[in-house]
Amino acid sequence: MSGWRQFMAILRKDLIRELRTREMIISMILFVLLAMVIFHYAFAVKEDVDLTYFTGGMLWVTFIFAMLLGLNRSFAQEKDERCLDGLLLCPVDRVTIFFAKTAGNLIFLLIIQVVAVPVFTLFFVQRGYGADIVLFVVVLLLADMGICALGTLLATISMNTRSRDLLLPIIFLPLIVPLLIAATAATTTIFATGASFGATATRLLFLLGFDAVFMVAAYGTYDFAIGE
Amino acid sequence: MPLEIEVEGLRKTFGRREVLKGLSFGLERGGFLSIFGPNGAGKTTTLRVLATLLTPGAGKVSVAGHDVREDPMPVRRTIGLISHNPMLYLDLTAQENLRFYGDMYGIEDRDARIDELLDRLELSHRRYDVVRTYSKGMRQRLAIARAILHRPRVLLLDEPHSGLDPRAVDILDGLLAEIRDEHTFVMVTHNIAKGLEWGSRLMIIENGRIAYEHAAGVDPDAFVAVYREHVQEGSVL
Repeated sequence: MSGWRQFMAILRKDLIRELRTREMIISMILFVLLAMVIFHYAFAVKEDVDLTYFTGGMLWVTFIFAMLLGLNRSFAQEKDERCLDGLLLCPVDRVTIFFAKTAGNLIFLLIIQVVAVPVFTLFFVQRGYGADIVLFVVVLLLADMGICALGTLLATISMNTRSRDLLLPIIFLPLIVPLLIAATAATTTIFATGASFGATATRLLFLLGFDAVFMVAAYGTYDFAIGE
Repeated sequence: MPLEIEVEGLRKTFGRREVLKGLSFGLERGGFLSIFGPNGAGKTTTLRVLATLLTPGAGKVSVAGHDVREDPMPVRRTIGLISHNPMLYLDLTAQENLRFYGDMYGIEDRDARIDELLDRLELSHRRYDVVRTYSKGMRQRLAIARAILHRPRVLLLDEPHSGLDPRAVDILDGLLAEIRDEHTFVMVTHNIAKGLEWGSRLMIIENGRIAYEHAAGVDPDAFVAVYREHVQEGSVL
């Protein structure tokens, strides 16, 4: 019960702070929208060209880079005025901090996707995918969980380094590649041809496995990651 | 009187630099230890080890009978830390900050306790303002409320008077006087007058070792002479 109360307290605090300052969300939404406009003009080499087969890649590359912007901010606020010390002084299991931070980042990423996916569909997807919307949402959620779990863990590790803005992308991007491949393949299949759960099952299982691996990794290492 | 804080052979290294070189001391329940020393002597590191923010490199450290390395959770419930950094979220209001920490410590009477502390620290009228709009003195007062919100038995004070306006110094001293008998204190300070005024024991740390230790009651001029001798290198006077 106490762990749940602490989880909700950290999550509520992060949400209130972000809704008040909008530091992270505004920059991430602007980045995503600008990236789409740039992709639109960069790939529109010929009238009526079908970009559907590029859509999955464009979408997930954009979200991953947008999340990198947000991850650094989500821990920068804890370093301000040494709030991290205040948090670490509390009798809280370090894993609770990880799950609360991951949940906060997941909510921010989902908010961005609610804005970005319709715009993206308008720009790039020629086939309606209304029938596959549930499957698409499952892919989004599984991939988002992996991005946020890995991102939160690595942002925590890099936050105490002098060059954290540089270090985070260097360690995050290589590790996120397997997730990018699976999410891109599943998304492109849904947008291009439509797909059943059966056709994307391998990709979904891989995403689920990726999420589980980094949740477990964080569970085992977060005490050290957030410590000295 | 049982020992509330026990430190035995404490060592701490950062990279190749050994900051603490085998500190040993004890503090009885209800005691007030004032720690002095030049910058970089290891005072704040000692305090951060007691607060479980740093793990000891070697040695044994226990607070209220709990080992800080093996059993940190009960230690965290027992201690409160007041530092010159307020550890407050600037974009939250005073009330939101205290509610957050109240939930983190699992305080049952959270809202009543917050009302009591905000009244006591004369911040009730600004409780709905974001902390970013507070003066340094007001932030420090709110930091005091944060530190004692969960009724800790041991208070760790890291230069608590640093940067405070006279009103805030009065409030802090008044509060310390009120709770002096119920708590054990460890205060790191450069302020000799405050350290001598409050301390039941005095300690000078120099270069990671205890250079001087004495019970309270020492003649202030004699102490200043000893202090000058030990901190000459650190040039803080």
